[in-house]
Amino acid sequence: MEAVHQLLTIAIWEIKRFSKTMTRDLLPVAIVLLVLLVAVSGFTAQKGIHLQDGMYRIGIDSPIYLDIIGSDPRYLAYSLPSDVQNIRALGLDLAIRTGSLLRTNSDKGAAAQKSFERDYQSYQDYLYRQQEDLFASYPVWVDSEYVVSELDFLATQSGQQISAPRRATDQPPVPEEPEIDIALPSGIAPSDMEDLRIQLEMEAARGTDQLGRYTDIIQQQEALGDIRIPSMLSPPLPFDTIIFIFVFIFPLYFSSQFFMMSIMNERTLRQGEALIASPVSPSIIILGKMLPYAGGMVLIVMAILCSVKADIAAILPLIPVILFFLSFALFIGMVSRSYKELSFISIFFSTIATSYLFFPSIFANVHIVSLLSPVTLVVHVIDGTGYTLTDYLYSTTLFYLTSIILFVVCVQNFHEEQLFTEKSLHETVALYLGALISTRYWYFSLILITVMTIPFVFMAQMMYLVLFFNLPMPFSLILIMVLAALTEELVKAAGFIGLITHRHPALSWRVVILSAFLIGFGFLLGEKLLLFATISQIADSIFGAALFLSVGLLWIPFLLHSGTVLITGITLKIWGRGALPLGVIVATIVHTVYNLYMLRGWVW
Amino acid sequence: MNLSLVRIIAIKELKSIRSEKTIILAILLQLFIAMFSSFLMVGLSAMYDPSMYGRITGIQYGVGFVGNETILFDLFEKEPSFKPYRMDPGIALGALKERQLAAVVWPSETLPDAEDPVTVTLYTISNDIQSTVIEVKIKDILLEYEEILRDIRKDRMDFHPVQVTPSRPVVQNSFYEFIYGLLIPMLLFMPAIISAGLVIDLITEEYQQQTLDTLRSTPATLEEIVYGKILACILLIPFQAGLWLILLTINGIHIVSLIEVLLHVVLTSAALVLIAAAIAVYYRDRTKAQFIFSTAVIIVLLLILAFPSNPINLIVLLASGGAPFYHWGVMAAMASGCLIMIILVRNLVMKIEYR
Repeated sequence: MEAVHQLLTIAIWEIKRFSKTMTRDLLPVAIVLLVLLVAVSGFTAQKGIHLQDGMYRIGIDSPIYLDIIGSDPRYLAYSLPSDVQNIRALGLDLAIRTGSLLRTNSDKGAAAQKSFERDYQSYQDYLYRQQEDLFASYPVWVDSEYVVSELDFLATQSGQQISAPRRATDQPPVPEEPEIDIALPSGIAPSDMEDLRIQLEMEAARGTDQLGRYTDIIQQQEALGDIRIPSMLSPPLPFDTIIFIFVFIFPLYFSSQFFMMSIMNERTLRQGEALIASPVSPSIIILGKMLPYAGGMVLIVMAILCSVKADIAAILPLIPVILFFLSFALFIGMVSRSYKELSFISIFFSTIATSYLFFPSIFANVHIVSLLSPVTLVVHVIDGTGYTLTDYLYSTTLFYLTSIILFVVCVQNFHEEQLFTEKSLHETVALYLGALISTRYWYFSLILITVMTIPFVFMAQMMYLVLFFNLPMPFSLILIMVLAALTEELVKAAGFIGLITHRHPALSWRVVILSAFLIGFGFLLGEKLLLFATISQIADSIFGAALFLSVGLLWIPFLLHSGTVLITGITLKIWGRGALPLGVIVATIVHTVYNLYMLRGWVW
Repeated sequence: MNLSLVRIIAIKELKSIRSEKTIILAILLQLFIAMFSSFLMVGLSAMYDPSMYGRITGIQYGVGFVGNETILFDLFEKEPSFKPYRMDPGIALGALKERQLAAVVWPSETLPDAEDPVTVTLYTISNDIQSTVIEVKIKDILLEYEEILRDIRKDRMDFHPVQVTPSRPVVQNSFYEFIYGLLIPMLLFMPAIISAGLVIDLITEEYQQQTLDTLRSTPATLEEIVYGKILACILLIPFQAGLWLILLTINGIHIVSLIEVLLHVVLTSAALVLIAAAIAVYYRDRTKAQFIFSTAVIIVLLLILAFPSNPINLIVLLASGGAPFYHWGVMAAMASGCLIMIILVRNLVMKIEYR
């Protein structure tokens, strides 16, 4: 009860403090700017974005071709002299001479032609749509049906860039179980013609309207379900997810910036000293200060969801994202020495976080990797597919775990000694790690630190997976392997760094060897626990094998993890803390060689 | 105003940025974004143009064909990536489900010259990149089929489009438009955003950490201090933008008018830095200044992009070759804009200093 009371008091203080920053000199300006923002985006939406204007030059020998280029601002049209041989000499990229399209022999010429072909397509479509007999201009209609195959994840992830179906044989394949009840595909009745024409008009309008393409996505209704003409048969473009990312992440980023500044302000000029000296525990202070921002972020997200008329359930996947942003804001606010450091670290963090959220969701509807990002779940809620509890756990566990761990670390370090130092970033991190080591039960602390790093390792490795899984085969695997090994060695060194900063026990040879075994054990333990809980799906594929090699026998990975961290430990013991990079590099090499040996079948 | 004092302040700021090593983060960020763009190139553009994948795999896919339509069957037969089999619907769909086939095609029994359209039902496996690839390949075949049927029915059309036939086909999508039209302007303005944020930090920090009074006890006036900070941030821009240009050139992306591009970038970024500095001097508080500045930047960028021949558009044209000559005029306008901003910042500082 006491704690709740304190929590609320601090939260109210924080709200008061925050509203004080919205002073008379800020609020009117902010309102004016917001009004301007709305006005300007309306204006720009109407005028169009002029980024690639005049990129290509096209020569035409008759004005009728202007209909094709239409209002595409990328082209500057010139009239073509009749006797021209070399269009490049005229500075043109493309030319149309008596109905034949010429281009220069360069990348630019090829790009110009490609863009022209798209324009030509939409010009043709425009004319075809006007035809009285729509089924003469569009004689073929395609109805796409999707069949769910139980094999899909493992097959697409079985190490190939694209899973190869069985090579076509001369004889048709015979399935073990033929499908029994099959609905005869429904044809198109002639009476549907006008409905289809309207649908085509709508599709075409969506393609040309730059902003409409994004805003209409949610209300998108198709007149006749999935029946399309062949030219509209294309894979779903990831536009909607890209927009969602920015719509959701941008406000979250901003609100977490306010929290970050609030923490930072407690540290500048030791303003927060009184608060820290009070008998309130650090966790209450932090949670109290965080509460208003977390509430604000939830409200913002809810407002966005309401404004796009989405199901409010879409907020659930975003809660771990909010926590993730807040925990990193807390950490960054606590470690940076100056505002510029704060800016750089937070820009760096948010770029990486945004891409972690962004990359996988590009593959929404396409690939299971997409589920790594909670935003994919939001997309699924909005397009009506929904998600299961397993999906939810799968995509949010890492976010929850990393946020909670980071909170705990920050709470542990939320006291004078750590808050008011002016040490550099990596020294501060070392200090934080040192604070996690218990003098008496240091061996237990070592295991704990290592277990704690596991969710971060997984997150980094998921990132590598997402970044590189579509590179050509041996490269993607080797690259992921080296980076995974590097990350693992780096975080395993954390235990040693903590030990050195804590200065107790002194780093004797006995301690080095014992620690190496403890860290190896901790790493294996954490990996097993998390693997069990969440990502068995990925772990079963070859990429999983590259990332989490320990799925097989237990004592070999244990020896590997202990052995490589022992290398780091020995380097640290002999040459001191400055030799950390050297130790990690040597350990990474050993680790990679081992991985390569284990996966040799896949690489060569 | 004493220029040598401005220079000393600028050098001091650059040194402190170097000693804090935060600039390393900025460079890491650049590399990360370079990775990001390579991801976009390989991954995202593969989504736009999955035939890239098809080119890499070179596998023959089995396709189940239901019904008696012959033109379409022949088209599938002709395409080397497909091997069509005439099958019963139940067997074909069963085989698809077990992944023994890549797709099943089931056209309706409509005659080519009938009143009604031909409906093709296309079955593929859901949640699968392979399906995306196959769908794109099948799309090409269906387009060909559409063309044939349209030709058969052409007498029923009221009017016909102008014919344009490419003399040489473009085999595959190059990323030219993406690189020159989007990536280059985006990458080159990253340093501008970083520098503008930096100048806000440098100025507000002196107020909020109460170090300004110490600094003012030196011969430097507030004006010189602010200009020194602005200068430091502007000096960073050509370095960062230059780094990008070098990285792009190493990657074989040729920037046609390198010097002009750099000049445009520096001037436009300088304008942004000056706006940021004015806001910072006015508010003297990081949270407020950053908030106002980021909103203002979005407004300014949107507004600029709404007009043709804006500096960003010109950078695209200069990089890809073929910029209009009047870009020098735009550059001059930008330079005079910067001068006006310099005077504005000066007046603002004066007002604060002597009020």
